[in-house]
Amino acid sequence: MVLASVNDTFVVVIVAAAVLYGTPLLFAALGELLAERSGVLNLGVEGMMLVGAVMGFWAVQRLDAAEGVSLAGALGVAAVAGAATALIHAFLVITLRANQIVSGLALTIFAGAAGLSSYLGNDLNLSGSPAEHAFSGLDIAGLGDLPVLGPILFDQSALVYLSWLLVAAIGVYLARTRPGLNVRAVGEAPASADAMGIDVAAYRYTHTLIGGALAGIGGACFSLQITPQWVGGLTGGAGWIAVALVIFAFWRPDLCLVGAYLFGAFSALPPTLQARGWLTGIPSEVFSSLPYVMTVLVLVAVSSGAARRRLGAPAALGVPYVREER
Amino acid sequence: MRGITKRFPGVLANDGVNFEAAAGEVHALLGENGAGKTTLMNVLTGLYRPDEGEIEIQGEPVDFQSPRDALDAGIGMVHQHFRLVETLTVAENMTLGWHTPRFWLGVRAGRRQVRDVSGALRMPIDPEARVWQLSVGEQQRVEIVKAVFRGSRVLILDEPTAVLTPQEVEQLFETLRLMAREGHAVIVITHKLHEVMAVADRITVLRGGKAVATVSVSEVTLRSLAGLMVGREIAEARRVEPQHSPGELVLQVANLTATGDRGGFAVRDVSFGIRAGEIVGVAGVAGNGQRELAETIYGIRRAATGIVRVDGKRLRRGDPRAAIAAGVAHVPEDRLGTGLAPSLSIASNVSLKTYRFPPISRGPLLLVRRMRERALALIRRYDVKAPGPDVPVRNLSGGNLQKLVLGREFDGEPRLLVAAQPTRGLDVGAIETVHTYLREAAAAGVAVLLFSEDLDEIRALADRIVVMYEGALVGELDPASASVEDIGLLMAGGRPR
Amino acid sequence: MRFERRLDQPRWLAVAVPMGSIAVGFALMAVVLLATGHAPGPTYRRLLDSAFFGDGALSATLVSCTPLVFTGLAAAAAFRMRLYNIGGEGQFYWGAIAGVGIALYLGDRGVDSTPAYIAATAVAGAAAGAAWAAIPGLLRAFAHTNEIITSLMLNYVAGLVLTYLIIDSRSYWRDLESFEGQTFPLGKMIPEEAKWPSASLDAFGGIVLPLGFGIAVALAVVMWVVYARTRFGFELQVIGDSPRSARFAGMRLRRKIVAVMCLSGAVAGLGGASFEADFAYQLDPTGLQTSFYGYMGIVVAALARYNPLAVVPVGFLLGGLVNAGFTLQGADFPSGLVGVMQGLILFCALAGEVLLRYRLRMGRTAPRAVDPQAEAAA
Repeated sequence: MVLASVNDTFVVVIVAAAVLYGTPLLFAALGELLAERSGVLNLGVEGMMLVGAVMGFWAVQRLDAAEGVSLAGALGVAAVAGAATALIHAFLVITLRANQIVSGLALTIFAGAAGLSSYLGNDLNLSGSPAEHAFSGLDIAGLGDLPVLGPILFDQSALVYLSWLLVAAIGVYLARTRPGLNVRAVGEAPASADAMGIDVAAYRYTHTLIGGALAGIGGACFSLQITPQWVGGLTGGAGWIAVALVIFAFWRPDLCLVGAYLFGAFSALPPTLQARGWLTGIPSEVFSSLPYVMTVLVLVAVSSGAARRRLGAPAALGVPYVREER
Repeated sequence: MRGITKRFPGVLANDGVNFEAAAGEVHALLGENGAGKTTLMNVLTGLYRPDEGEIEIQGEPVDFQSPRDALDAGIGMVHQHFRLVETLTVAENMTLGWHTPRFWLGVRAGRRQVRDVSGALRMPIDPEARVWQLSVGEQQRVEIVKAVFRGSRVLILDEPTAVLTPQEVEQLFETLRLMAREGHAVIVITHKLHEVMAVADRITVLRGGKAVATVSVSEVTLRSLAGLMVGREIAEARRVEPQHSPGELVLQVANLTATGDRGGFAVRDVSFGIRAGEIVGVAGVAGNGQRELAETIYGIRRAATGIVRVDGKRLRRGDPRAAIAAGVAHVPEDRLGTGLAPSLSIASNVSLKTYRFPPISRGPLLLVRRMRERALALIRRYDVKAPGPDVPVRNLSGGNLQKLVLGREFDGEPRLLVAAQPTRGLDVGAIETVHTYLREAAAAGVAVLLFSEDLDEIRALADRIVVMYEGALVGELDPASASVEDIGLLMAGGRPR
Repeated sequence: MRFERRLDQPRWLAVAVPMGSIAVGFALMAVVLLATGHAPGPTYRRLLDSAFFGDGALSATLVSCTPLVFTGLAAAAAFRMRLYNIGGEGQFYWGAIAGVGIALYLGDRGVDSTPAYIAATAVAGAAAGAAWAAIPGLLRAFAHTNEIITSLMLNYVAGLVLTYLIIDSRSYWRDLESFEGQTFPLGKMIPEEAKWPSASLDAFGGIVLPLGFGIAVALAVVMWVVYARTRFGFELQVIGDSPRSARFAGMRLRRKIVAVMCLSGAVAGLGGASFEADFAYQLDPTGLQTSFYGYMGIVVAALARYNPLAVVPVGFLLGGLVNAGFTLQGADFPSGLVGVMQGLILFCALAGEVLLRYRLRMGRTAPRAVDPQAEAAA
């Protein structure tokens, strides 16, 4: 039918796939954005995503309930798992003033593909069987078949809609609420914030933990929707892309959405192009490398003098805050 | 404020100071650096607790436990270094840390409030502007509006004109007069005489921690104020007339200009020369460009225009190595942060500039033993109290650090020594030592450029005195004949006789 | 409870902290094992056996640890100067690519002298690694771009190049002759003469010392000497401690930043070349990309507190861990144990760092922050 074929066109397929692959990136990036806005750099995103993926999967296999409840519960477990992992990093860098870069890397190694997530996946006998329940397109009000907009807007999974909600919520939080204002001050000028009576450590802890929770949910996107199975290391580096994504998006939630789908499209391009026999001359790796190359270019542009002030990172990012002794 | 006394380890910052400010007046708190002005105001704003004395607000005695208490009591302060978060908007900075609104920021209401308050003060500010976009003068306005917004009845400004252009200064004064008319008590901390005469109703002069006079502006002249501020029941500065006459020209600076850290020019069209064996003392209150001038001559700061010549040879801009090669030695203001590597040993630091040359290094290799020997020799010769050459430099006391730095710079047999505040924070004995070394250096033919906030020191050591004010050299005086009032006048921006 | 900055660092503490971290890490791992139903005792025994005490264990550990010592040295060289070169992984890959490439090329030209191959592969590997590291180095020195993200992103690009060379193209590196090579993607083997020799010793019950290991140890000593006894090393010390003082002393910062990044990359690249010429003999993207030698090198460097001499024993220990994890893979032995242990040890080391820099004091917390300039001007 005419309608069906329009929805099979290249653009629509790409966009729909971009949203699918971009959603875990979006969750993880939003989480990292919150942490970095408070001044904490957490390079352990990949590890937190994997832990969230494996624990979310475990929950959905074990929970004996209706689909909706089961999936919601699994998401909750994934979030808690991610937050718990983030707590290690938070304690080390906020209270013990450890080097944030090394700590984040340690977290990735600890929880990542050669670490805790595989350990748990193995021990809990999670590989081999598909998920009991998985997130799938919700076909809202039956509008999923509309040309073009149908599959893109109305036939996405609950996870995608949740992510859109989060983008809006975080945007409002940062710009229009007092806690949001405070966290921005903490990330830019912790000494001034402290002098104003804002509890720097508390803000950093909460935002790092929320960052972990969101990364966990991002990981669950893989094990509960995209794959939907448990395989060691199934996030395939998405966590690192999320870190880059935050910079690419100039630490703004709305741009995170754009960037996540852009990067998602890049990973959806190779198989789609191949299926249609287009652009066979260009190796798929070129497309796959685009997110990384673009991030470097953006970073160079952002770091040059004048741009630095306007678009740059929270000024106190990565620096432990020590209240000066009198 | 009555009988306020505040002690810090080693210094009596305020000694029984009485001070009062009335609604409707602009009261200037005048004094040199170190006179105790900021300490007194820090007591008033709750940052410090006084050791003795009491404070009354509108007749009621108060006891501030924290800055918050002072804020709640209506004391607002605009600091010299603004407490603004630069990437946030004006409206956001206004409400940061304030109790209401509690959750939703109410952007539109916030904007309106900013416009209302700033409009009432005839200082319109755009609430949506980001602070980094504003000029320094505008940022200061934000701080003032912030204080008023929080209901301050007493407004204290700490050296407000230090960072303003002359036009902005005019605007500020109008604002202050307006605020006084509105019923606030405005206190201005400053060291600049003619500005005090322009804006204040009453003036309290602090010197050496004591309040020496409280006068109304109609009772004094510029000269008498200068005398009070800098003032002289001091011991006669002992001048030792140099035994030698100055030799050939070593340093020649022509039309030197350099930008400051916050933009704007910190050094404006400076030209002067120094001969071998001559000590030129640069007097001036801190913050008038002395540090930047020293940095520019040495090359840590890149000059915008102008030339620096040593022994006739032009130095490359912004290149300390060129200066070092030409025989320029520098004792920086920030000893530990700039002149020394804090975690490295004494031995390493002694050879910080000479490590590249024999005998410290042979080819690419560093001869550590020589480094230690040199350090030991230096420690002995300059009487640096240290357990050994291997301890990290940051463990040394201030005085010993300075002796170390000076020793290192002298040892290099320089042609020109640029010393910035060399006796700051030192005890009397150490100060004596430093003075002796400076004289010896001059006797040995070194050209010495001495920056100091201590007028006595300059008068005792210098063969010529120049004064720096707002980045320019405003006068040259002969220490034997110039009076303290003359120098003080120049330092404070007055015009010479 | 309050932290107070220490004035000096007692020597014994500097050694006690890493050792203590390892011990505590093992203890914590035992807790994890218990909690998940494994018996720590037997697990540890099997681990130690495969790593150090069993037959041929030491030789196997030397194989695993050689790349780690290289990447550890690479990370230590840069991190010491507060240049966070996370790109060791990608630089390692390029070293492997270049090493194999030149070996194949020389093989096609009929070269048969092993010393020539050793020299060529080593130089090629180092050069490739240095060039790849120069990118983030130059960006940092001249465009003030954060080297953490740039070097990290380049790791992925390097990984994609690897995948392309073997899996997605018919490149020079790919084996297209043999039967297996035509069935699935496989890398060409380097010629026999190109393989680096190893020394068999009777000590320790007979071990095999790969050439790469010898080079790595020598490199560690050289690096230590350079750092402690040359002008260049002195400059690095000063820059790492206080860039402003370095500038005061007339040191050229930008050049040094690029130089150190290139040096770090060269060492990592050399590690990649050694990996190929000592052990792998063919370019294997999957194997390289799942080993994480580059990232593990950072762990090694951090534990060794960036001291090149300490990198060797720490690398050896971690190599043992990796070796054990590899050989013991199976139903009985928890997979992922290696990563968890490494992570735990590193966490403990980071926590222990605190004790080195600060002293713990019980007492009231410090009062609210004051404007420090206000005090100075008082």
